[in-house]
Amino acid sequence: MNHLSSETFDQNAKAALADAHLRGALKNATSLFGERRKAAAASLPNWEDLRTEARAIKDEVLWHLDRYLEEFVHNAESRGAKIHWARDAAEANSIICGLATECKAHTIVKSKSMTTEETHLNTALEAAGMQVVETDLGEYIIQLAEEPPSHIIAPAIHKTRGQIAELFNAELGMPLTDDVARLTSTARATLRDRFAAADAGISGVNFAIAETGTIVIVENEGNIRLTTSLPPVHIAVMGIEKVLPRFADLDVFLKLLPRSGTGQRLTTYQSFITGTKRQPGDEGPEQLHIVLLDNGRSRMLAHPVTRQSLACIRCGACLNACPVYQQVGGHAYGSVYPGPVGAVITPQLMGIQKAAQLPYASSLCGACREVCPVKIDIPRLLLHLRGEISPLKGKLSERLAFKIWAQVMMRPSLYKMSSVMGRFMQRFVPVAKAWTKGRDLRPIESKSFHELWSDE
Amino acid sequence: MNNSAREDILGAIRSHLAASVPYDKQEISHGSSRMNTDTNPISSASICGQFKMSLEAVDGHGRIVHGDKEIAQALTEIISVLSQTKIAISDNPEVERLLNLTDLEIEELSIAPNAHDIFRFDVGISTAQAAIAETGTLVLDSTGERHRLVSLVPPVHIAIIRASQIYRTLGEVLTLIHGAKEVSPAVTFITGPSRTADIELTLAIGVHGPQELYVIIDEVN
Repeated sequence: MNHLSSETFDQNAKAALADAHLRGALKNATSLFGERRKAAAASLPNWEDLRTEARAIKDEVLWHLDRYLEEFVHNAESRGAKIHWARDAAEANSIICGLATECKAHTIVKSKSMTTEETHLNTALEAAGMQVVETDLGEYIIQLAEEPPSHIIAPAIHKTRGQIAELFNAELGMPLTDDVARLTSTARATLRDRFAAADAGISGVNFAIAETGTIVIVENEGNIRLTTSLPPVHIAVMGIEKVLPRFADLDVFLKLLPRSGTGQRLTTYQSFITGTKRQPGDEGPEQLHIVLLDNGRSRMLAHPVTRQSLACIRCGACLNACPVYQQVGGHAYGSVYPGPVGAVITPQLMGIQKAAQLPYASSLCGACREVCPVKIDIPRLLLHLRGEISPLKGKLSERLAFKIWAQVMMRPSLYKMSSVMGRFMQRFVPVAKAWTKGRDLRPIESKSFHELWSDE
Repeated sequence: MNNSAREDILGAIRSHLAASVPYDKQEISHGSSRMNTDTNPISSASICGQFKMSLEAVDGHGRIVHGDKEIAQALTEIISVLSQTKIAISDNPEVERLLNLTDLEIEELSIAPNAHDIFRFDVGISTAQAAIAETGTLVLDSTGERHRLVSLVPPVHIAIIRASQIYRTLGEVLTLIHGAKEVSPAVTFITGPSRTADIELTLAIGVHGPQELYVIIDEVN
């Protein structure tokens, strides 16, 4: 398996940079998504107002998260949904394994859910003896290849059609082809059998509406509709931050999410699911279970800077805009959440020591903040996290150097002397080795500005 | 057991919020950013045209017709070119009535087949409860009709709508759904046929849902 760790971002990134194919694929994908997003945003005259309103709605929810969660739970339960609370990933997985065992599930179909990627649910279900099938085409491909997703909305972005053809040939016995339509229809046919046999369906949630108890899931392929319509049991997994107060708020978020993600005005399907069916003869599952996951999220509420991480709607726009992601791709981050937003969410979810390199995986250029549909100030968050990391990892020599620098800067005579010394010393001593590995250090001028000024 | 998790999580939320400072509250009035709903009356011809244009922009097929006879004719034209004609229809009696107006030879006809039977059908036919002109979207509400599976599993979906059901904006339709006495267990928005770009960002139509989506729009009703 190709599971990289967040702890080794620098090494992962170096390996990714050497992969010419990966960089080509990333360039195509990120520029295409970026252009489409730009055009889609420009098609609405009030894009900026929508972003402002979306953020205000999220700020309001997060500041009263306990109240809105209770309202959501009350309304969903009163319409027949069963609610499960999970403090962490292990608890979520054990609840879901328990539900699957209860309904004697053998085959489980799953639609794309970043939250279940976060908890590594598939591993837990397989360990419990169940067959789990990812049904989103991209997720299906990477499940066959035993790889993690590399982009929030295009999980198999790093694979060529040739690699996918070889994979389908080895795993499904399909003759080799470079025809994308045929690869797609083979996946359709194979997965139809799984849908027909499925005992339970597991999905994510994009939005949960407090005032009605509705969950909303958006997609293009139709696999989410199949997952939530065919099997007798539907289990929806959501982070506790997914709540929106009012049904009408969807008018804002359904305009922002598809435009930011893929540049569409609307994705092909939106499913609005409110409780279970009312009449026995109606279509749809018998049972609806909603799992609410904390897993470190409530901790982020404690500071206004970190709290905004919970406003993220997982559109992926910041990945496409980020000059670092554009070069290294998703796997290097070693987390299910890559890119700028991953660099802020991962250390907060996994613990800062396990992802201490990620907040530095940015030039702080601010492109992510420009495109974020909910105006998350990602550069500020990165700096905030760096502030938490540096006391932990700052080297003694580095701290000493800054102390000396401070002393020198406060005394003009020392400053003058140090620049003379510096000019002399740089002939013999290599300075800032790490920094000069990839670029040249400009030599210090033979005369300082001070000296030039007094010469005049 | 689950109760303690609930109390723990809500407790953690409350204590972390209590330790924090409020957000910089921005005074905004909700809805201020949304598009002004144009109150000028719009002719049914132009709203049908707008819906059809939006639908075709996402690879769906729109047919504007006038009355039952032309609906039947459109159904005949769409279905007669298909090599197989096992048809699953929703339980809206309107659909069966209109299908009976055609002289199609149908291999098999079934009303709202269940999750096991639905897989063998070639065509699904339903109506829709509303539509959105600006996006070309069909709105299927499970309270009114059993059409969740016929609109999803067969490779071809045909929907029949009336001009009076087409709203201009997403916002109007959200208000309509929420305004119902009880929000339906399942409301589905459909905008074009199923699509994916997961392999090298190459568009492929009909990955899991229907490959073809036809909407017959009756302009006179």
